[in-house]
Amino acid sequence: MININRHMRITMKRTFHFSALAGVLLAAAACNNDTTTMTTTPTTRMYNQVQRLGNPLVSEVFLAKRSHATHGSTGPASDVSLIRAELISFVATVAGRNTTVQNTLAAVLLPDMLIVQTDKAQSTAGWLSWALANGWGGRKLTDDVVDAGLAAIFGTLLDPSNVSPGLATDNVASDSPFITTFPYLAPANR
Amino acid sequence: MKRFPRSVRLGLALAVGIAGVLGARHLAFASDHQDTADVELNPSQDMTDFYAFPGATSDRITLVLNSWPVITPAQAGTITFDPNLLYQIKVDNTGDAVEDKVFQITFTGTGASQQIQVRGPMAPPVAGAMNNTISTTAPVITGPINTTLGSAPGIQVYAGVRDDPFFIDLEQFFRILPDRKPVTGALSALPSTPSASAFRPAGSAVDFLAGFNVLSIVIELPTAMLTAGGNAKIGLWGTISR
Repeated sequence: MININRHMRITMKRTFHFSALAGVLLAAAACNNDTTTMTTTPTTRMYNQVQRLGNPLVSEVFLAKRSHATHGSTGPASDVSLIRAELISFVATVAGRNTTVQNTLAAVLLPDMLIVQTDKAQSTAGWLSWALANGWGGRKLTDDVVDAGLAAIFGTLLDPSNVSPGLATDNVASDSPFITTFPYLAPANR
Repeated sequence: MKRFPRSVRLGLALAVGIAGVLGARHLAFASDHQDTADVELNPSQDMTDFYAFPGATSDRITLVLNSWPVITPAQAGTITFDPNLLYQIKVDNTGDAVEDKVFQITFTGTGASQQIQVRGPMAPPVAGAMNNTISTTAPVITGPINTTLGSAPGIQVYAGVRDDPFFIDLEQFFRILPDRKPVTGALSALPSTPSASAFRPAGSAVDFLAGFNVLSIVIELPTAMLTAGGNAKIGLWGTISR
């Protein structure tokens, strides 16, 4: 492989990209005994992920816009390696919060999945209640996740030091007339 | 690490905090808050929120995947799901952040006669974010949108336009951070320089998104269909793929 790679690099320096592409294809073919997989035309429609949501706020609050496509096109399994450093950096340098807040937020939000402890009482359901109160967790329609997120990042929820009180709530509440039976969401505004 | 003066820190916190909160959903009218240009141009691919909460009885769970932000009342009767997309709800029940079970939701047709097909919960034909395929198994639920399909104690499904459950004071965010304001619509007329430095107090704050709709996919089912091996802790996430 080392010789092949060296050859490819030399080729790319000396010739047009077309030649480099041909070299790559040849190298790949040479390394793959199962050549039938390269000539079979896929007949099954393939779908590639463009959006993902587990916890609210994770991508939009903590990640620079240039990283959003990464979050949207990957799964939670790679979140710690791909996202954690940027999340920690946001909490440390933008919000100015200490390691307690940094590490707590990273631990409860990543991997970015909505966690449910299905053996806990349903009455304890609510965003992050699985981590903060050993509750059911999940996310209810009525949860004020904006205020919860702000309180954790800028307020006193996780730590009393260096808070920014003016940023701890946006002071709006749910206005939706949710219904008590399936499908629970309020009818459309028409 | 160099530490900013508190005033600068606060300013940064304001700016980024507001930007982040605004981005808590992908707002179609805020040109710099979409995840990507692709999503900005294709609201059908724009997932706004994901929920998981207790169902009607103690052994049931409800899952909600919302998409297509800011559907107006006038649009509520015409916007439907994108039949070219694959909507999925994924479940990790072993603690490794990899999906062990998935729901796959697809649609055929458009408009009021659109039909939904729901497959799962089942092992994913392909795990991970890329090169997903639709299971060759038969759907467990099919039927028209805007209708409750299935029944307890089995799987219930509803897909259609509903009131957006999300809430936020957008106008004040744009007053604090005017370069995030949209280029069209009423909010674009706000001053281009900061005209506020804090959130409005309760009573003055306004949920700007009140009255808008989204496209909701709601599934309620026995919780035991998602767990495995006596592990009661599960991780859930929604995806949209094209």
